[in-house]
Amino acid sequence: MSKIKWILTACLLLMSQLACAAEKVVVLSSYPQEVITQFEAAFEQAYPQYRLEILWRQSRDAMTYLHQPHSAVDVYWTPAQRNFEVLAKEGAFRKLDIDLSGLPKKIGGFQISDPDGYYVASETAGYGMAYHPAELRRLGLPVPTDWKSLAAPAYSGHVVLPIPSKVGYAPMLVDTLLQGYGWEQGWSVLEQVAANANLADAGATFISDDVGSGRIAVGMTMDFFAVSAIANGKPLRFTYPEKVGYSPAHVAIFRDAANSEGARAFVSFVLSEQGQKLLFHPDIRKLPVLPAVYAAKPDGYFDPFSAAQRASYDYDLATGLKRQELVGALFDALITRHHTELKAMWSAIHQAEQKAPGDPRLQEAKQKASWLPLTAAQSNDAALQQTFIKHGSRSEALEQEWDTEIAEHYAQATQIALSISGAQP
Amino acid sequence: MKRWKAVLVLCVLALARPAVAEESDVTTDDATREAYAQPIPSLPESDRAEFFKGRSLVRQVWVIPPSENREIAGLGPLYNRFSCIACHAGNGRGFAPSTAQEPMRTMLVRLSIPGTDEHGGPKPDPAYGGQLNENGVPGVPGEGRAEVRYTEHAIQLKGGEQVMLRKPDITFVDLAYGDFPPDILTSPRVAPPLYGLGLLQAVPEADIVALADAPKPKGIKGKVNRVWDAEQQKTVLGRFGWKANVPSLRQQIAGAYVGDMGITSPLFPDENCTAKQEACRHSPSAGNPELSKAQLDASEFYHFALAAPRQRNTGDKQVKRGSVLFKQAQCSACHVPQLKTGEFAPLPALSHQTIHPYTDLLLHDMGEALADHRPDYLATGREWRTPPLWGIALAQKVEPRAGFLHDGRARTLLEAVLWHGGEGTEAARMVENMAADDRNALLRFLESL
Repeated sequence: MSKIKWILTACLLLMSQLACAAEKVVVLSSYPQEVITQFEAAFEQAYPQYRLEILWRQSRDAMTYLHQPHSAVDVYWTPAQRNFEVLAKEGAFRKLDIDLSGLPKKIGGFQISDPDGYYVASETAGYGMAYHPAELRRLGLPVPTDWKSLAAPAYSGHVVLPIPSKVGYAPMLVDTLLQGYGWEQGWSVLEQVAANANLADAGATFISDDVGSGRIAVGMTMDFFAVSAIANGKPLRFTYPEKVGYSPAHVAIFRDAANSEGARAFVSFVLSEQGQKLLFHPDIRKLPVLPAVYAAKPDGYFDPFSAAQRASYDYDLATGLKRQELVGALFDALITRHHTELKAMWSAIHQAEQKAPGDPRLQEAKQKASWLPLTAAQSNDAALQQTFIKHGSRSEALEQEWDTEIAEHYAQATQIALSISGAQP
Repeated sequence: MKRWKAVLVLCVLALARPAVAEESDVTTDDATREAYAQPIPSLPESDRAEFFKGRSLVRQVWVIPPSENREIAGLGPLYNRFSCIACHAGNGRGFAPSTAQEPMRTMLVRLSIPGTDEHGGPKPDPAYGGQLNENGVPGVPGEGRAEVRYTEHAIQLKGGEQVMLRKPDITFVDLAYGDFPPDILTSPRVAPPLYGLGLLQAVPEADIVALADAPKPKGIKGKVNRVWDAEQQKTVLGRFGWKANVPSLRQQIAGAYVGDMGITSPLFPDENCTAKQEACRHSPSAGNPELSKAQLDASEFYHFALAAPRQRNTGDKQVKRGSVLFKQAQCSACHVPQLKTGEFAPLPALSHQTIHPYTDLLLHDMGEALADHRPDYLATGREWRTPPLWGIALAQKVEPRAGFLHDGRARTLLEAVLWHGGEGTEAARMVENMAADDRNALLRFLESL
């Protein structure tokens, strides 16, 4: 009898230990440590029965990992829109069967969540301009109010612009200009801003290091890099353009999640009021997608839902994602590889404008300067987009053609402008 | 002769020490949450790229191999955390869990068994190695978890103030590779801060030895540790780590990469798997080594170039008074206010600087209450290296939960002072028995650092 009692006691003890051991929830993410730290601690405190296990992968690497057999992951939680779109199409996710009330699928005309409900926005970031107020004052420059502000010759040498083929968040930044202003005008604004700018090939560091120190007055970037730096003491300010573009991050549960209850708990937490308020932390400063939490926002915090009521535009996310590589390649041809010529050309045009503002040849110079090797319709051509996604001899040949034509147009525009200003006969 | 030299060094240090810190090219005025992440102001422009490269490595979340991103792959097979800043948030210090349920997120437990390894260091546990790695990559069981529970007791200070001190007790659960041997030696450690370490490496060995030999107030000794240098393959002076058990910043960094994250480097090319950890030994590696020499160089350079925060509020009356009391209470006998760097070839800007780190880099017996009973080279189980105090007042601005002392038990600087035993007993008793105004002045001084 006592032996049976002992065995029963041992079993009960073992069972209670098993019941107490926290179950792991495996989350694939590319968030920086600061974001992971806050969510990990708060989630495990809210749900002590679960323990978060983060598998960290950058976007492309994540897709390779997920396409391997036995890649046991419960949740995908990251800023990588295209991955979510592809994985949803592949049937990798299960439909989110959690309470999504209070979570809009759009910010104004900007779609942020999957209309079919397989993945949902968990936060977003907005594009805008970080600036160093003291440096702007020292230079006698006004605070920019729109992307176009930075095209003014006075900003020459005082702007930094990230290169979309090198900096992860920059393709969307560029595309918001192309859709916000339209294809031709968008490129024209970009080229004129680039003529004033230093080009950055590293993500966030130029904001805190270069703009934060006043080495450069203005940087085109995502809000949270600057706003977090401000919250941590950098003497910066951040301003949004008239029409704000967004880069949402998403969360989804995998169809084959081993811990589906834990996965649901994590996703629910991320989207909850508590989870959304974590985004206000000085080290994060992302924009919540739950409008209700803006009632508790820190002073001066941007509310995209309110801003969208003032000005908004219909941004087609699918268009932007599909032509990402193509636009990146075109940016490199028009701007990165011809940066010296671009700067010289716009300098010459601005001089000509000053010298002879009514000269009819100015229009011709500007047309040459704004010449594009592709139309908007061509940029949406699926075959051409694939050429640049695959990146091989065909895309390289096209880039060479573009280079030649762009160089010719820039040279012609420069020559016309110089002849107007009399710098060259 | 040797003793005369030591006396002379101490006199020079004492005489040279002003009440407040001086302006310098190697300290930063930044007192924000980014205070610990600033390069020294005199960092040459040509070195900025290397500094930023090292910074991105310290901030990098590492990837479990195999991965397309070869340059950031190598996490595991066994690991504690997946980035440097997971433990050293903002380059600052870590904290101890508040409850047994809370995992050790910025803290680890060193393990060994009685005896020494072939170089005189701690002898690793044959099944678990030198520290408990709570996590494993998929297919490799994490080693287990350490849980912290506290017992509290009150200290009554002169003037009526009562301070609660919490003593941690560590237990281990979910041990995946068998029970620990009964004589296992364990030592919980919170992550130490990362700034100012290049300057400490630049302090000449002779000066540290001289400090050990110099006469001190009654009851205070101080000795150097002698430890194995994996790079030079010989025993040298130890100056980093909670027990001065690491000889150089490079070894400290490479040791943390392999020990805390399972990332091999030219200095430590073997994965952190013991012979008994079968799955660990067969787990894929991201390269041999995973952290390249260039990456280790950049990480080291970044640490060399991190400035220490400059003392603030130096004109404040209470701070000035606290500075005097700091000396009178014998705190400065171990927390030596001023040192001088020597020639430092890896970053010449650190050479010949007068610095105010408030450490002697020596081991001191800190008493039974703080003892871990785990010897580390010449350090006994009761001895700890004097931790530098510069920048300490910003610790909880950078990481609000930052803890003090080796296991993070002290939640405030006053608690940390009151835990001092052994050679620090007299100082702690003096602080306990100070008039409340004096004690406040002493704390204001510490808060200016």
